[in-house]
Amino acid sequence: MTGYLLSSAVSGRARPPSFVADPCSVSPIRSIRLLRRAAAITAACIALAAPAGATAKTAIILNSDDDSLSVIDGTTYKETSRVHIGRAPHHLMLTPHQNFLIIAMAEGNELVFIDRKTGILARRLELSDPYQIGFSPDGKWFVANSLRLDRIDIYDATNFKLAHRLPALTMPSHIAFSLDSKTVFVTLQGSDKLTAIDLVSGNVLWTVPVGRQPAGVWMRKSGTLLVAIMGSDHIAEIDPRNGAILRRIETGNGAHNFQISPDGKILYVSNRVAGTISVLDADTLAVKGTLNAPGGPDDMMLTPDGSELWVTGRWRAWVEVIEANSGVLKATIPVGRSPHGIFLY
Amino acid sequence: MIDALMRLIGQVQGFVFETAIQPVLYGLGLMDWAEDVFDGLEIPLLGGLAICLTYLLFRPLELWRPVERWAERRAVRTDIVYTLVEKLGLVPAILFLLLTPIGAMIDGFLRFKGYIPPTLEQIFPAFVAWPFVTFLVYFVIIDFGEYWRHRLQHGLSWWWALHSLHHDQRQMTLWSDDRNHVLDDILSAAWSGTIAILIGVTPGEFPLVIIGFRLIESLAHTNVRLDFGRFGSALLVGPQYHRVHHSIEHAQPPFDRTKGCNFAVILPVWDILFGTWRRAAEFPPTGVAALSGPTVRCGYLAHQLAGFRRLGAAFRHLVNRRRPGFVASFPERPAAPYRDAAA
Repeated sequence: MTGYLLSSAVSGRARPPSFVADPCSVSPIRSIRLLRRAAAITAACIALAAPAGATAKTAIILNSDDDSLSVIDGTTYKETSRVHIGRAPHHLMLTPHQNFLIIAMAEGNELVFIDRKTGILARRLELSDPYQIGFSPDGKWFVANSLRLDRIDIYDATNFKLAHRLPALTMPSHIAFSLDSKTVFVTLQGSDKLTAIDLVSGNVLWTVPVGRQPAGVWMRKSGTLLVAIMGSDHIAEIDPRNGAILRRIETGNGAHNFQISPDGKILYVSNRVAGTISVLDADTLAVKGTLNAPGGPDDMMLTPDGSELWVTGRWRAWVEVIEANSGVLKATIPVGRSPHGIFLY
Repeated sequence: MIDALMRLIGQVQGFVFETAIQPVLYGLGLMDWAEDVFDGLEIPLLGGLAICLTYLLFRPLELWRPVERWAERRAVRTDIVYTLVEKLGLVPAILFLLLTPIGAMIDGFLRFKGYIPPTLEQIFPAFVAWPFVTFLVYFVIIDFGEYWRHRLQHGLSWWWALHSLHHDQRQMTLWSDDRNHVLDDILSAAWSGTIAILIGVTPGEFPLVIIGFRLIESLAHTNVRLDFGRFGSALLVGPQYHRVHHSIEHAQPPFDRTKGCNFAVILPVWDILFGTWRRAAEFPPTGVAALSGPTVRCGYLAHQLAGFRRLGAAFRHLVNRRRPGFVASFPERPAAPYRDAAA
């Protein structure tokens, strides 16, 4: 395991994309000193191996302006460690088989894979400017958006081989997929548009205006899309066949992102300017309440039992833990600068 | 303590952005700029800190052992404006708006061609575990790049026409570091951007260390009789070392005004390696011999206009060698040897 750990920390440049099939294809140990440093990095990640419980045992926060990762104890609500992880980490997610946690390093031009079972940093894979990332529901496609370079990259998720690279209108940001995994939807945050792209051909199916500075996009089980209109105070329900706006639901100024509860019944919308979280019935989209979350609420995640909502406060370098039922703020946890992505175990 | 200070700066940054700036962006329909403006807000906050530290640390030195004393300090006030415009973010904002789209276009084009700008951590994977070492290596490489940029600023006649604005100050003080033409700033940023495409950008985790480097640059311009000695001057650029670079007469053999000496910004090792190191235990007067009067002792805008005029003259000379050109680039009269300012 030691060699595995070390080589991942020092591997750097991409090797042939074999990590899924053979994650232990590593180079030999280079030095004891490197081993220690690599172990220090991994010490923070190892907490990921903690078993899931009713509430969060461990939270991983990506501090995008600090190039670091904060590990938070979910019982004491304290930051237990903060480690350098790579350049501009913004978003993270599990691989389709949930074996690895992927951290996308936008400025580092790489994906970092952390073994979910062991918490060990498994490998680094070179990839051009991955800002937002997403897997199609069938696990066959991996999409990475470059917000800075106005580009959408579509990869074969089995080997991370680039299938299509598309120039996009300004600031391609959040990602959603059709339920049949044939189409990816991307908000173009620097414009007022949402675009739909056929994953197989790479052809743009449509690009339509949906509202000022669209950010988060969410595919509902019913098959319609929701888009958070950050330049306004609402979310828009969209017909994925043609981009037509079906209706608008007022949430709060700067509607930014979505999070569904574990039972699929409640949808949370972060309102970045208002500093609130709107609580919606996931079926009817009726607004049931509003939670206070000052500090530029951005990404959210719920504990497995849905009792706690964790929110990154982008502008105030903190994470807020809100009791989902009562809206009581349980904790405000200082982290690094510009905390963005969040993941709970 | 450093963590606490950064935490405080971050909270001020967040509070100001959330309460005063974000509502304006939202009202103007500019929320797509939110992250950039938020990050940019760090510049005036850290810049303000740098200004305070510079004044508190170096002004006493100027009062204690000044190289020169002036009855009238109007020219210094212009440099204060330069410092405020630069460190509080106006010039960086202009550079960001002008150069970011160009940089993104070039970067995007290269990626479509299959080139991904590497970072040092990718070139030398061991650096992944050593972020501060990585930062220092970036600093050394960038300082090396700055040395050569500085050489070109003196070596190319048209660039010297712009850079002469930095040098024409005869009352060099702790405020003089930011006395640059805006076109010179743009060229410098483009230079840095080119290096970034080759080796990536410096990690952003150590902003206070960057302030430390800026303080060293301000100290180098400080009007103080302070010499780091033979050994120290080989390690770090100081007031005496840099004053020789700013000497009003560089033409004394074997040096030439357009070539000069002591170009290093922070690390003198580059001057030593490339034969431009001049160890002289003197404190010469500063300025550009051919430039004096209103074109030098003027306000910020007039000085900037003078820079455009000098650049125009330099280009006209390049097109037609019979045109006089920027006189300071081509000294026609032999230069007088410089004297110790205190003499």
